[in-house]
Amino acid sequence: MAPQLTLQAPLDLPPEEVHPYLQRLWTQDLEGSIGAATFTLVVWEPSWLEQQMVRIGRVDGPITGLLRKELLEAARHALPDTDLPLSTAPMDPRLAWAIGQKDGDHRVQDLRGQFVESAISAHMPRRLITLAPTLDPGHPLETLVAAYCPLPEEGGAGAACGDVVVLRGGMGALQQSLDLFQTLVDDTLPCWVWWNSSLDEPSEMLEALAPVPRRLVIDSSLGEPRRCLDLMLARISSGQAVNDLNWLRLRTWRESLAMVFDPPSRRDALGHVVQLDIDVEGDHPVKGLLLAAWIADRLGWHLVTSYAVEVDGPGPGITAEFERTDGVAVQFTLMPVPMGVPKTHPGAIVGMRLICEPVSRPPLCVILCSESGGCMRLESGGMASMELAEGVVPLPEESEEMEMARLLSGGHDSTSPLLAAAVPLAVTLLPG
Amino acid sequence: MTAILTNPLRVGLRQERVISPQCIVIFGASGDLTHRKLIPALFELFRQRRLPSEFAVLGCARRPWSDEEFRDKMGAAMAEEIASHRTAWEQFAQGLFYEPVDLQQPDHLVRLGQRLEGIDRLRATRGNRTFYLSVSPEFYGSGCRALAGAGLLADPERSRVVIEKPFGRDYASAQALNKVVQACAKESQVFRIDHYLGKETVQNILVLRFANTIFEPIWNRNYISSVQITAAETVGVEERAGYYESSGALRDMVQNHLTQILALTAMEAPGRFDPEAIRNEKAKVLQSARLANEEEAWKCCVRGQYAAGGSLTKPLPGYRQEPGVNANSTTETYVAMKVAINNWRWQGVPFYLRTGKRLPKRLSEVVLTFREAPVHLFDAAGGAPTPNQLILRIQPDEGAEFKFEVKAPGSGMRSRPVDMAFSYDESFGEPSDEGYVRLLADAMLGDPTLFTRSDEVEAAWRLYTPLLALIEESPWQLPVHPYEARTWGPAAADGLLADDGLIWRRP
Repeated sequence: MAPQLTLQAPLDLPPEEVHPYLQRLWTQDLEGSIGAATFTLVVWEPSWLEQQMVRIGRVDGPITGLLRKELLEAARHALPDTDLPLSTAPMDPRLAWAIGQKDGDHRVQDLRGQFVESAISAHMPRRLITLAPTLDPGHPLETLVAAYCPLPEEGGAGAACGDVVVLRGGMGALQQSLDLFQTLVDDTLPCWVWWNSSLDEPSEMLEALAPVPRRLVIDSSLGEPRRCLDLMLARISSGQAVNDLNWLRLRTWRESLAMVFDPPSRRDALGHVVQLDIDVEGDHPVKGLLLAAWIADRLGWHLVTSYAVEVDGPGPGITAEFERTDGVAVQFTLMPVPMGVPKTHPGAIVGMRLICEPVSRPPLCVILCSESGGCMRLESGGMASMELAEGVVPLPEESEEMEMARLLSGGHDSTSPLLAAAVPLAVTLLPG
Repeated sequence: MTAILTNPLRVGLRQERVISPQCIVIFGASGDLTHRKLIPALFELFRQRRLPSEFAVLGCARRPWSDEEFRDKMGAAMAEEIASHRTAWEQFAQGLFYEPVDLQQPDHLVRLGQRLEGIDRLRATRGNRTFYLSVSPEFYGSGCRALAGAGLLADPERSRVVIEKPFGRDYASAQALNKVVQACAKESQVFRIDHYLGKETVQNILVLRFANTIFEPIWNRNYISSVQITAAETVGVEERAGYYESSGALRDMVQNHLTQILALTAMEAPGRFDPEAIRNEKAKVLQSARLANEEEAWKCCVRGQYAAGGSLTKPLPGYRQEPGVNANSTTETYVAMKVAINNWRWQGVPFYLRTGKRLPKRLSEVVLTFREAPVHLFDAAGGAPTPNQLILRIQPDEGAEFKFEVKAPGSGMRSRPVDMAFSYDESFGEPSDEGYVRLLADAMLGDPTLFTRSDEVEAAWRLYTPLLALIEESPWQLPVHPYEARTWGPAAADGLLADDGLIWRRP
């Protein structure tokens, strides 16, 4: 489904007129429309990569805040012009920063917050608030307001309407707009806050936008790994509903592994795992650690030790030892591997291998490989005598917005118990 | 060594849609269905953590029970199931309430509205309500009118009504009931339930057909020679004689369950997985379906009634000897028929439907028989090669099976049929949810995909109108053939296929 613009061109209003205008909108202009009693969706949308790529003229405008294919292509092409390793993912915040060092002053229309993905609008948000920081830190605050009603062809005939508010400006102006922002969030409705950026950004804004009980959506592949994991742990421990897009992108890996053990004849092998190996792209281990932590939690393993190892790759590897419920040791390694064409987000899984040694049955070796690459390292050596179960894990095809829509459709008001169990373990698995 | 009974990696993997804060109001709460199916299904959803904490069940019936009595009665009826989930039951039961209500009494409806507001405050259910009409079918229309009259269906976003089968007794009454219901609520608020559609394997028909590329090109008249749909029961009429005497197998099983399976088997591919897209296609194929001979309907249908049977040690009474059944009853407990679908895909392919009570096996299945190879090159072990068959097993032993010819080992080139089988048990090893679990969750989520739309119901009744008219006006033309209990129905049913050179599959 293609994203679409709000039906009405948003009005650029002085901040103090936003509330009176919204009130007038609902009592006069949209009289007879039903305001959806659903939820508020707040999006922190800096789109630094897009803004920088547009500025240096590598991508045409307007700025939409959406992860367009052209943007990702252009980012991949721009990578060799920086000092970053070639296996750096386009969404790696270091790439946006490196491009920011280049000259350029192209200016285009900024439509962030004004495109509503159909999958999201189908859930009829009552209010969509986008905070759109600009590259120019001194840019004054602009407030844009529009009504939004789903189109009849989207099945929107008779559906409830919502409104769209965009707060755009430099960081200082956005900081000063926080009082206005807080009054725009209806406390009687659930509120989702999507931090659509790196977790390395100054925490004050995140603190202000997403206090408990607002539901937080982050992406733990964006930011320094320790910081990402610690932030998730702190937020989950505080009782906040936390959703991690990086965790959601693990869905196909978790599903593929579970499928291997669906036939009852294989179940017993799960109690006899002796080795787990995971290969990840580049030097961002969080996704791999979350996958390992999920497996360890589901199988009841206890972490004994974990340490970093120097390897011939884009970053350090991690070696750990778990103890199964029957006391037997499980060896775990997480290896960073360089990739010619990295996937969109840092730390994508390349492959995984699970070796089980059930009593009085031949050992079972499960190898799952990413659809986009081989996993020769995991396939090499020593498996001739084992029962081999190999699978190819499909790449998730959904955009961030589709993932977000999926979250909204779930309506979850608490952190997924599986993520809540995996994060503390991933935190301890990460050495140092 | 500890055996792992469930797949620990599977737990919590599906991201289930979460039901909004909700109060489900069950009318007919003192009835059988409530404690046998509805409350157990809701308890299962609760145990699967798919119900929100802001959830309540309000049982309504004429009996003057208290909340406590209702909880006790439900608990007693489910004693076996809750024995191992005592704590969960105690938590769940806190959300069970009861209100004596006679839907024909306006003051009762006023009291019901007040009670619901009280539950909204107590359980934070936010005015979201699903009204489940588990009452006698003659009260469906008046029940909807009463709810609408009390303003309880006014908010199309927050209120829904679930209606059990049978939806009408024939085409005219279904149309009339649809008019009444649609005057009380929008179609999007109405959920006509057919629990067969809640079965995993019935839904699997859609997945098998439309998630695989190998089946769709051959799923048509060019490759398929006939289709058999069977729903066989081993039980007799049991305690349902009162209802069954006035319905019979045609109304009880064929018009709804078998017709829904027919629609899923024969429909065109929907443009997208969307409730309306799927229901459009189902309605379209049902509108194209006709009895194989509408003018002489008696030639394409056989009715039967089970007679005494069983064994010396375990004799089984005949239908007419069952308690509550008229000793001269002409109600059919078995029906077999031939249906045609007049569209490009299915023209000329007979669809045979059969259902019956007291048959030798309990099973439901769809059998697609493919055309024979045009030239027989090899000797066949059975004299002639067996046509390929795809068998979709709906229950029990859920799965699918494909029969095809292979070379029999040994010298020479003789062929013999073999089976390639898929079993849900062997592949997944997890029991699937009872149909009501899925359907109740979907109704509360407002997802109508697995519910029957008004035009589908009407098309299904219209399909059988010539038969119903015949039974009503000249029953001697469609006599009830007796068949011995625990046999595969009357011999006349075999004749229905013999005319086409076919036989029923003996599962």
